[in-house]
Amino acid sequence: MTLLEFRDYLVPGLALGALYSVIAIGYTLVYGVLKLINFAHSEVFMLGGFGALIVLTEVAPGHPSGLVSVLLVLLGLVVSGLVGAGTAFGLEKVAYRPLRKRNAPALIFLISAIGASFFLYNLAGKLFGRDPKAMPALFDNGVLFHVLGAPVDVVKLLLIVAALAMIVGLDLLVRRTKLGSAIRAVAQDPEAAGLMGVDIDRIVSRTFVIGGVLGGIAGFLFGLNSQVSFTMGFIPGITAFAAAVLGGIGNLRGAMLGGMLLGLVETYNVPLFGEEWRYVAAFAVLVLVLMFRPTGILGAKLGRTA
Amino acid sequence: MVSMCAALVVTGATALTGCNKDDGAARVGSDGKPIYKIGFQGPLTGESSAIGVNMENGVKLAVKQANARGDLAFHVEYAASDDAGSPDQSPAAAQKLIDDESVVGLVGPAFSGAAKASGRLYSEAGLVSVSHASNPGLPELGFRSFVRSVPNDNAQGGAMVTYFTRQLKTKKVYVVDDKSEYGVGLSKVAEKQLKEAGVEVVKAGVPAKTPDYTAAATAVKHSGADALIYNGLYSDAAPFAKKLKDVGFDKPKIASDGTYDKKFTELAGDAAEGWLLTCQCLDANVDPGTKQFAEDYKTEYKAPPGLYSAESYDATNLIIEQIKALGGGDGGDVRREAVLEKVKKADYKGLTRQFSFKENGEFAGNGIYLSEVKGGRITLKGNVDTLVSAG
Repeated sequence: MTLLEFRDYLVPGLALGALYSVIAIGYTLVYGVLKLINFAHSEVFMLGGFGALIVLTEVAPGHPSGLVSVLLVLLGLVVSGLVGAGTAFGLEKVAYRPLRKRNAPALIFLISAIGASFFLYNLAGKLFGRDPKAMPALFDNGVLFHVLGAPVDVVKLLLIVAALAMIVGLDLLVRRTKLGSAIRAVAQDPEAAGLMGVDIDRIVSRTFVIGGVLGGIAGFLFGLNSQVSFTMGFIPGITAFAAAVLGGIGNLRGAMLGGMLLGLVETYNVPLFGEEWRYVAAFAVLVLVLMFRPTGILGAKLGRTA
Repeated sequence: MVSMCAALVVTGATALTGCNKDDGAARVGSDGKPIYKIGFQGPLTGESSAIGVNMENGVKLAVKQANARGDLAFHVEYAASDDAGSPDQSPAAAQKLIDDESVVGLVGPAFSGAAKASGRLYSEAGLVSVSHASNPGLPELGFRSFVRSVPNDNAQGGAMVTYFTRQLKTKKVYVVDDKSEYGVGLSKVAEKQLKEAGVEVVKAGVPAKTPDYTAAATAVKHSGADALIYNGLYSDAAPFAKKLKDVGFDKPKIASDGTYDKKFTELAGDAAEGWLLTCQCLDANVDPGTKQFAEDYKTEYKAPPGLYSAESYDATNLIIEQIKALGGGDGGDVRREAVLEKVKKADYKGLTRQFSFKENGEFAGNGIYLSEVKGGRITLKGNVDTLVSAG
């Protein structure tokens, strides 16, 4: 691989990594407070994409540009975030809370999550059609500028900037706000947190909602970069879950790091070994890391570390 | 039980009636005419369902018209079986048709991977499958009930290569497939023929549903290829086309019949512009031979015929003709084995082309058409052989 090639894959790799990071955070947040893998998170992602698609198809004119484009993108972000939040909120209420009230074993939660995932994506297929749909054109996707000579187009820039903003915002929220300390408290020791007056149910629900906002927006960004379909959650969902585990499940910065790493590995794998090896390479990295660090890159110790 | 029945069938007609109960062959309609079913196996749900529904509608229209004509001594019914285009779901879909004993022939499976997965079941059941699956290797698998109603991918891959080397004089071609049975088969053929023509080939497989095509598109651009061949379905060709446009690859691009669908232009938007598409199929909306069919189709489904609608219509009528020739409804022997033998020997003139089959089920005919996306519409350019000799 020449230096020139190396350079041209950097931006796509970072953009894909940013996307995986944002989805991975959804898995890791919920794991932090509940010690559960929310396998229906991939459907939060998918529905976020559809939410933005449906609203934008209604309002977007033929070839928007300038300020209109910016407003449309913002609208897409807001709608997908809301739909993602709503879906995650509903999921927690329907698929998890009743089980928690009855102290169901972990396996039951897993099955409940998988069931919810099947239900949601098949429902989406039924409601919105089983063909992929294109996000309406929100802007002319030209090259904006060059970084070290590598072109950066609008979609890639948007992906990276939006993801970074969300990651930084979330990090601040978890570390600096009252809600954040409550989330961390529940993650560390739910019993003690409860005794200290933290409303655990409310914190769990809000954690789902925060993960949902990120997942929904990721769905919109994915749709802008590619297209929207009822099965679109599957591959990014599994990859992001792997990213969360790679970084150390339950650890926020670990999820970001894991996502970035998998995005870059998948992308650089194309010039190095060929696209056929995409998942082989990505998951070989996962297995290798976990062999030497079973708790993931940043999962310092076994236990809850949100 | 089955072998005893087979012995009885040979001995006489009375035994045959007795056996029909066991074999459960002809169900009888209220007017005493027997009912034969023609099945269809293809993707009726899933991301490729647009292709499946196009075919299904062709089959249904042929069945409806055959009954409406009123000159048949039997009734034809339609039996659908959805395999979602997937090899995994194909055996179950095939079994559904095999278990319905009134089914005497089927159109499909629509896709090569699905055809490979269910071929053995159909062969064991002796149920003839008239398929549009175009993977070249299929007839070599020894499925005795498989016949192909389209030229295979050797012909399609060959036509792409002919057009590139003789019309566009390309020197280096980037060949991409979607890692499916269908795509890989086509790419192998294209690669072989390009090399024979002395053209440099770069080959890559990009699995269907890849979350981001940017890396794949960047690799195409860096290869320095002066043309691209994509063998896969429109649902993947569209995001790939978008990324090829984003990275600025503006060389000629050609895709196989899996991409030949108006949804490709809808999904890819501006990025679809200028793409060339090959197909064994003929655009039923523009060909004079299929004018009446296109009108009937529009009346029935409120939409113009799509990919393989007309070919499926032809394949259905071909099976109906064979049932008629076997004396269906007039005491003739319309068991699956008999229909199978008859179809394999058929020489039937359909709306789209002449249908006859080689001993191994391979289509014995020719004709690949080339189209181009212009102004967001797929426009027929013509038969590849004619285009090349004219140019």
